[in-house]
Amino acid sequence: MPKPVCVSPGLTVTPLRKTAGTFMLTASATLLSTMAMAIQRFPKPEFESAYTQPQTQIPLPRGEFLAYLDVFVLFASLCLITWLVLKKRSRFWVFFMSLFSLAYFGFYREGCICSIGAIQNVSLALFDHSFVIPLSVIAFFLLPLVFTLFYGRTFCAGVCPFGAFQDLFAFKPQALGSRLNTVLGIIPYLYLGLAVLFAATGTDFIICRYDPFVGIFRFNASFGMFLFAGILLLSGVFIARPYCRFLCPYGVLLNWTSRFSRKHLSITPKECIQCRLCEHSCPYDAIDVPVTTKSPETRPAMVKKMMMLTILVPFLVLIFGYTGSRLQETFAGVDSRVKLAKEVLALSKMQDAGNKMQDDSYEIKAFKASGKTESQVYSEASAVLKKFYVGGWLFGGFIGLAIALMTGGRMLPVYRTDYVTNKGRCFSCARCTDYCPVKS
Amino acid sequence: MKTGKPQFNTIRLLENISIGSAVFAVVLCVLIIVNYIQVKRADPLNTPAMSALVEKLQNDPGNEQIRQEVRTLDLLARKAFFTAQWQVRTGGYLLFISILLLVSCVKAIELMQVKLPDAPYGKPALFWENRILKRRWLVYSGAGLFVLTLLLAWLTHNDMGKDLETAGNREPQSVNRDAGSGIRDQGPGNQKPAAGNSDSVKASPDSSSNILHPASDYPSWQEVKLNFPSFRGPGGIGITERTNIPTSWDGKSGKNIKWKTAIPLPGNNSPVIWNDRIYLSGASESKREVYCIDALSGKILWTSTVDKIQGSPSQVPGVSKETGFAAPSLTTEGIRVYAIFANGDLIALDMDGKKVWAKNLGMPANHYGHSSSLIMYRNILIIQYDQRSGPAVMGLSGKTGEQVWKTSRNVKISWASPALVNTGKRMELLLSAEPCVACYDPLTGKELWKLDCISGEVGPSLAYAKGIVFSVNEYSNLSAISTGETPKVLWENNEYLSDVPSPVATDKYLFLLTSYGTAVCYDAAAGTKYWEHDFGNPVYSSPMLAEGRVYIMDKKGVMYIIKAGKEFSMLGQCPLGEGSFCTPAFTNGHIFLRGDKNLYCIGK
Ligand code: SF4
Repeated sequence: MPKPVCVSPGLTVTPLRKTAGTFMLTASATLLSTMAMAIQRFPKPEFESAYTQPQTQIPLPRGEFLAYLDVFVLFASLCLITWLVLKKRSRFWVFFMSLFSLAYFGFYREGCICSIGAIQNVSLALFDHSFVIPLSVIAFFLLPLVFTLFYGRTFCAGVCPFGAFQDLFAFKPQALGSRLNTVLGIIPYLYLGLAVLFAATGTDFIICRYDPFVGIFRFNASFGMFLFAGILLLSGVFIARPYCRFLCPYGVLLNWTSRFSRKHLSITPKECIQCRLCEHSCPYDAIDVPVTTKSPETRPAMVKKMMMLTILVPFLVLIFGYTGSRLQETFAGVDSRVKLAKEVLALSKMQDAGNKMQDDSYEIKAFKASGKTESQVYSEASAVLKKFYVGGWLFGGFIGLAIALMTGGRMLPVYRTDYVTNKGRCFSCARCTDYCPVKS
Repeated sequence: MKTGKPQFNTIRLLENISIGSAVFAVVLCVLIIVNYIQVKRADPLNTPAMSALVEKLQNDPGNEQIRQEVRTLDLLARKAFFTAQWQVRTGGYLLFISILLLVSCVKAIELMQVKLPDAPYGKPALFWENRILKRRWLVYSGAGLFVLTLLLAWLTHNDMGKDLETAGNREPQSVNRDAGSGIRDQGPGNQKPAAGNSDSVKASPDSSSNILHPASDYPSWQEVKLNFPSFRGPGGIGITERTNIPTSWDGKSGKNIKWKTAIPLPGNNSPVIWNDRIYLSGASESKREVYCIDALSGKILWTSTVDKIQGSPSQVPGVSKETGFAAPSLTTEGIRVYAIFANGDLIALDMDGKKVWAKNLGMPANHYGHSSSLIMYRNILIIQYDQRSGPAVMGLSGKTGEQVWKTSRNVKISWASPALVNTGKRMELLLSAEPCVACYDPLTGKELWKLDCISGEVGPSLAYAKGIVFSVNEYSNLSAISTGETPKVLWENNEYLSDVPSPVATDKYLFLLTSYGTAVCYDAAAGTKYWEHDFGNPVYSSPMLAEGRVYIMDKKGVMYIIKAGKEFSMLGQCPLGEGSFCTPAFTNGHIFLRGDKNLYCIGK
C-alpha cells in the first residue's frame, strides 16, 4: 500500500481509497441489479386465474454445522477486527470489515442469532432449567464479552451488524453534549433490566420483538417496525449509532467489561502531543479530554458527598425495588398466561352476569381445546404475577443501583494529561486514530 | 499523489447522485406511507358501489347483467387492493435500493474526499462544571423515573393478584356461583345440595344431564356431589347427600332387591356412579375388565377389556387374596371413566367404553397389591402411588393422560385412598401413609402441609368434617388434625384402631370401625368416646354416612344401619346374601352393593 504523503493520513487520498470508492459503487450496482431481478421473481398474484393457496411451510431449524459455522465466523471476525483496530489502527479496514459483518450477520443470517438477543436466552436458561440453551447461543453471548474484556469494544466496531448498519448513516454526527449523553445513558439499563425480567419469567423476548433492524434484514418489517427503524436511521444521520448508545442492552455489559480492558485502543500510538486535533473526531462523544485542573469542590466536601451516596445506595435500591415491585401487574399484563387468565376471568364474569356471549377469541378456543382447567389458568397466572413481584424488586433495585453508581462514578477524582478514549463508551471504530498526527 | 480535477468531478457526480437518491427515497417514503394507509383502510368487497349492486341483485336475482357487473367490480376491487399491496412491497425494495445508493455515494465521497480535522478551537470544555451538572441531571432523571414509575404503578394497579386468587378459589363456593348464573346451564347440577349431611336434596342425579363447564369441560363440584364418582363418594370421605335411602332389604328373600347382576371377573373395588350408570372393574391374573351397568335395569351395558397397554408388565403382580387384582375403585367426571389395576395398568375409557388413552405406571412394588382408588378433581386424575420405590402422588390430564404434576413423597407403602375436601378456603387433597398425613393442592400437587402422626402399613383412608381430618391405622394412632395454614393434632387415641375400614365423620361425631367389627363413636372436636358396639363380625367395607345414618357392612354382607348420634341406636340389619369387602354406593332412593360375585341394587 502506498505510504501517505501528508502529515496526517486523514488528509490523504491514497489510490487505495480511490479504488475502494469505485469498488463501493460497483458493489452497490451489482447488488441493485440482483435486487431488481429479485423483484421480478415475485410477480403480483393473478386472480383471474385459479389461485391455489400456498402450503404453509415451517422453516427447518438451521443445521448444527451451520450454527457452528456462525460461531466460527464470529470468532474469526472478532480476531480480525481486533487486529485491525489495535494493530493496524485502520478505520478504512474497520469500515470494510463492518460491511462484511452487515452482509453476513445482518442480511445473510437475517440478524439472528445475535449477541444482543442472546442475553434473553441466557437469562431464561438461568431461571428456567427446563430451557435448553444451544452452545452456539452461549458462544454468541460470551465471545464478544471475552474479547471486550481484553481488547475493548472491537465487537461494536465491526462485527455487530446493527452497529455496522447505523454506522453507514452517520453522515453528519453532532456532539450531543455530555449531560444529554449521561441522561440518555440510563435507557440501556432500563432496557437490559426489562429484557432480562421478561425473558427470565418466560414472558417474552422483547429485544427480538422490538428489534428495529431485523425487519429490514429480512425485508419483511411490519409498518411500525419499519417506521421505528426509519426514525433510528434518520436520527442516526446526526446522532451517530443511536441504538448502540441509547438503547442497546448488550452495550451495558460491553461497557462494563470494556472498562477492565488492558489493551484498549488509544487515540495516539505513542505520547499525546496535546494538538487537540482529535478533540471533535469522535461521533459518539467517547473521547475524554485531559483534566489537569483541580475540582472546584473541596476534598472534604466530595468525601462527604461520597459518604452520603454510599449510605443512600441501599436506600435507592430499596425504593426503586419497591416501585419496580409495584409495577408487577403492568409487567405481568404482557405475559400471555396472564392475558389468558384475564380473558377467562372476564368471560366467566360475563357469564355470571348473564350477559350474552360473544364469539370466543382464538386464545379462549385454544384454552378450551387444551383441556386445562380455569383454576390451572388462574394459578399459572398467579405464579407469573408472583414472579413479576420478585422480578420487579430485582429490576427496580438494579435501576436504583445503576443510577447510584452512575452518579457516584461522577464523584471520583480525575486526573489525566492526555486525550483518551472513554473505555466504556468507545466503540473502537478507529476514526480518531486517523486524526492523530503521531504515528507509530 | 494526483488529486486534480477529475476527482473533483467524480465527487460532484457522486454528490448529485446521492442528493437524487435521497430525494427519491423521501418521495418513496411518503408514497409508501400513503399507500400503506390506503391498503389498511381499504375494504374492497364492501365498497358503497358494490353494496348497491349486491342489493340490486338481491332484488332482481335473475338479472344476469347485474351479476356480471358485480363480478367485474369485484375483480377490479381485488386488483386494486392487490396492486396497492404490491406497490407497498415494491416501494420497499426501491426504497432500499435508493438508500443503498445514497449510502454508497456518501461513503465513496468520504473515502475519496477526506475531511480535514477541526483545527483546535476554543477552550477545552469545562470538565468539572460539566461533571456537577451531569450528576444533577442524573439525580433529576432518577427522581423523575421514580415518580413516573410510581404513577404508572398506581394507575395500572387493579388488584389482579387478588382477582385471580379469588377466581381460583371460587370453585368451592360454586353452589352460589352456579345458581342461575348462566355459567352453567340450568339443570339438576344447579340445585342446592342438602344442608349438612341429613337434609334432603330434591334433585335426582338419575335425571341429571351432563352439565359441563363451558370453558374447560369438567363438571362443577356441585355436579360431582350429585353423583357418586369415586370410592366413598364425592371427595372420598364416606359421605353422601343422596336421600330416600333404603333401610331394609333381604338378599335371600329378594325384599327390596331391585336387581342383581353377576360381575364376570372378581374385584374388591366399589361401585362408582355417574348419572344412571355404574362403573366397576374386575380382574384375574391374566385378564382385566371394566364394566358399565345400567342403574335402572342392572344390565351390563358394555365391557371393556383392558389389554395391549404399552409397557404393561408380562409378570403377574404379587397380591394378597384379600386385595386381589382389581382393588382400586374407578373414578369418573362424567366424560371419561378411569380404572387402575394391580399391575399398574391405567386406562381412560369414554362413556361408551372406548379406550381414550392408557398407560402403565410401572409394576407397583407392593406386597399386598395396589389398592389405592382413583379420584378426580376437575379434569385432573389423581393417583396416590405410594409404592416401595418412588412413592408419589400424581395428577394426570383426564383428557390425554399426560402428567400435569407429580409430587414425590417420602413415605412407606400405603393402601389408603386419597380424600379431596373443600375447607371453605381451598380444595385440599389429603393422603395418609407412614409417617404422615399430608395435604396437597389438587391442581398443582404442591404440598401444603404434612404432619407426622401415623405409622405402619396404612390401609384406612381419611375422614373429614368441619376442618378436622381424622387418620387411623392399626398399631398406630387415631388422630384428629385441624387442617388449614397451621395444622395441628387436636386429639389422639389408640384404644380402638382400624386395619382396613376407613372412619367417617359428621360435624359432631367421628365413627370408627375396627376390622374385627367394633364400631366406636367419638366427639369429633374433643375426642371423648360416646359409645362402642361390637357387631361380632369382621368388617372390611368402609362405613358410609347417609341421611344421618351410618351404613356398615360386615364381611358376610350384613349391613348394620345405625343412627349417626351420640347414643348407639341400631336402625336396621339387612343381609345381602353373600359376602362383601366393598363399600356401598348411593343414588337417590338406591344403594348399590357389590358382593363377592354380584352387584345388587337395593331400592324401595
Ligand atoms: S475509536 Fe472510540 S473514541 Fe475514537 S472515534 Fe471511535 S468511538 Fe470515538
